[in-house]
Amino acid sequence: MDKRRRHRILMVSDFFYPNFGGVENHIYYLSQCLLKLGHKVVVVTHAYGKRSGVRYMTGGLKVYYVPWRPFIMQNTLPTFYLTLPILRNIIVREKITVVHGHQAFSTLCHEALMHARTMGYKVVFTDHSLYGFADVGSIHMNKVLQFTLADVDQAICVSHTSKENTVLRSGILPEKVFVIPNAVDTAMFTPAPNRLSCDEIVIVVISRLVYRKGADLLVEVIPEVCRLFSNVRFIVGGDGPKRVRLEEMREKYSLQDRVDMLGAVPHAQVRSVLISGHIFLNSSLTEAFCIAILEAASCGLLTVSTRVGGVPEVLPDDMIVLAEPAPGDMVWAIRKAIFMLPSIDPHVMHLHMKSLYSWHDVAKRTEIVYDRALQSSEKNLLQRLPRYLKCGAWAGKLFCLVMIVNFLLLRLLALWQPVESIEEVPDMLSVQHQDEVMEHDFS
Amino acid sequence: MMKGAADRISHHPKWKKVAYGGMQQGYDDNYTDESFLEAMVMNANVVKRDLFKVMQDSVSISQYLCIVTLVISVWIHTLGSVIDETSLLKLDVGLLALGFSVLLLTTSQLSQQLLSRYLLNISFFISGLYILAPVYHTLTRSISSDSIYALTVSLLVVHLFLHDYSGSTIRPPGALNNPTLASNISLNASIVASVLVASRLPSRHHVFAIMFFSLQIFLFAPLITFCIKKYSFKLHMWFSFALMIMTLSVVFQLHRMLFVLLLGLLVFVSVVCPYWLIRMQEYKFEINGPWDEAKLCFDITE
Repeated sequence: MDKRRRHRILMVSDFFYPNFGGVENHIYYLSQCLLKLGHKVVVVTHAYGKRSGVRYMTGGLKVYYVPWRPFIMQNTLPTFYLTLPILRNIIVREKITVVHGHQAFSTLCHEALMHARTMGYKVVFTDHSLYGFADVGSIHMNKVLQFTLADVDQAICVSHTSKENTVLRSGILPEKVFVIPNAVDTAMFTPAPNRLSCDEIVIVVISRLVYRKGADLLVEVIPEVCRLFSNVRFIVGGDGPKRVRLEEMREKYSLQDRVDMLGAVPHAQVRSVLISGHIFLNSSLTEAFCIAILEAASCGLLTVSTRVGGVPEVLPDDMIVLAEPAPGDMVWAIRKAIFMLPSIDPHVMHLHMKSLYSWHDVAKRTEIVYDRALQSSEKNLLQRLPRYLKCGAWAGKLFCLVMIVNFLLLRLLALWQPVESIEEVPDMLSVQHQDEVMEHDFS
Repeated sequence: MMKGAADRISHHPKWKKVAYGGMQQGYDDNYTDESFLEAMVMNANVVKRDLFKVMQDSVSISQYLCIVTLVISVWIHTLGSVIDETSLLKLDVGLLALGFSVLLLTTSQLSQQLLSRYLLNISFFISGLYILAPVYHTLTRSISSDSIYALTVSLLVVHLFLHDYSGSTIRPPGALNNPTLASNISLNASIVASVLVASRLPSRHHVFAIMFFSLQIFLFAPLITFCIKKYSFKLHMWFSFALMIMTLSVVFQLHRMLFVLLLGLLVFVSVVCPYWLIRMQEYKFEINGPWDEAKLCFDITE
């Protein structure tokens, strides 16, 4: 008997193609692998410039670019209830069963999860970043997260450190949080066919040059390493506010021939930059899960990274050298990596990476989360309201009020545009699954 | 049951806190190990406060409140023509001499060069005020009195709210901290309030005298009190108590209601607020752990 349940998943986030980033890639690859497993996936995001309306991507992935403009840092304007009509329409039209929101920073995600819960659908949330507790922005963000996670069916975090952080921030039960890491497309990131010679050691850095990614550490570390090792070269890709400081450092120590600044590297060319190096240096000050390290390891580079956030969990000890985020410690780690280089074989590392990380594995584990979410019991509004009251003395009552108004608006919308009047999209099976269905019918 | 557990231990390897390698054998993805939140540190940087020490520290705030109240009472007396300009000028010179003597007595680092520089700056300051007095005199002639008084009161409230009670905006010799934006804003608010009050006075000499008095107090009183506090804590406490008693007696003669208000405010600041602060410390919940953003151990020099 075919036990596999076919889920119809709605991925919601402010961050999607045509932007390139951790969250965007995660949603795209996860959706593609879920489509291959036979599920239906639809993505909802805001319009990017002129790219608005419905688009189809590889494998029949349908993306709704809803015509809202982003107002700050790629987020749509948080209007609590104005997103309800369009989201209800999309969810009913596509016959969605599970709504999956991504990234705590995305206002669209929080609103969609709120509306999905009001409509009674199952809800899953994935958190991709680490946040603090002490500054005003974080306190606000954590309260919003507490509201969303008070009534979520399951949550997913990308590393164990991220799980601890999310549980502390939102007060959700640890048993409800699944740890499913990101993965890397190992077919795209293959090592160079010929092994590079070890006469001149090339260290590659590809990151946004901002404070958070440790650009200031680079400014301290690069001159010191160039001084200690005369055969080391640096390639720095990426752009940002701290690029000026790096250029100044280059001028000050006359390292123009030893440090190449490439500027912003388009995603398609990242592999060609990576395979020109032996060591990948990551100096970020905070990371929930660093995909850049995975890409570098898949290309056969030895990684040197700061020991922050979820980075110690990402790679086994023979592929990464960890250091404290201090210049002296990082120089020592680079020295250790240079001594380790002769024993590293890029192709062996690439094959090992293929066995450690794969998007298909991530999709299978996510499928288990969806199955678990669908098993949770149906609760009506009155049974769900006590969950919000736990959020705080004043906040709890405010959240209850928000949900009650949302419920009333939903009822009003149901009168104005009944569910029966929304045309449902017919299922378009891919060729592979059509064959399977026909086999099943005949057997 | 026991056999099942033994089977489980022998077949499955121990759970590891790693993200690679797919699902760990024998463990679900939502498995929560005993080492969950092991590395969390709570309240690492929280200072345990003592009630008596906090009350002693709050004396700085009450002292400054009394100084500002004295300035306001001098303003009210001048606006009501109780004090005339000659007595005001005598008061100004007396205060200046007092301030300099306190500075000389309490600071050990005062060299001859620094003192002469201070005297030069003071003389520039006085001549500047004297030249600009006619401008201030006619500054707000077209604006009604109640707008001026309302604005003055709000500016003084801003001044008291943003004032730096532990340091001094004008850097005294030997101070380490730079003045912050808030303390600069408060100083500017007090200066503008003095200008507004001065513009309501009948003659230029009045204006010069009251401006000199107000600016002297607002600019240099924090400096003087900082020097006294640094020199001797006991002297600081005695000075503050004397100031409080003097202020209360002056306000008592001025207006009964303001006296009650001032007394209430001083009690609130000295007794109620420290007790409230100690009570609220119990709720302090500072969380640190491996998820924190790393702090750079070196200064970024641009």
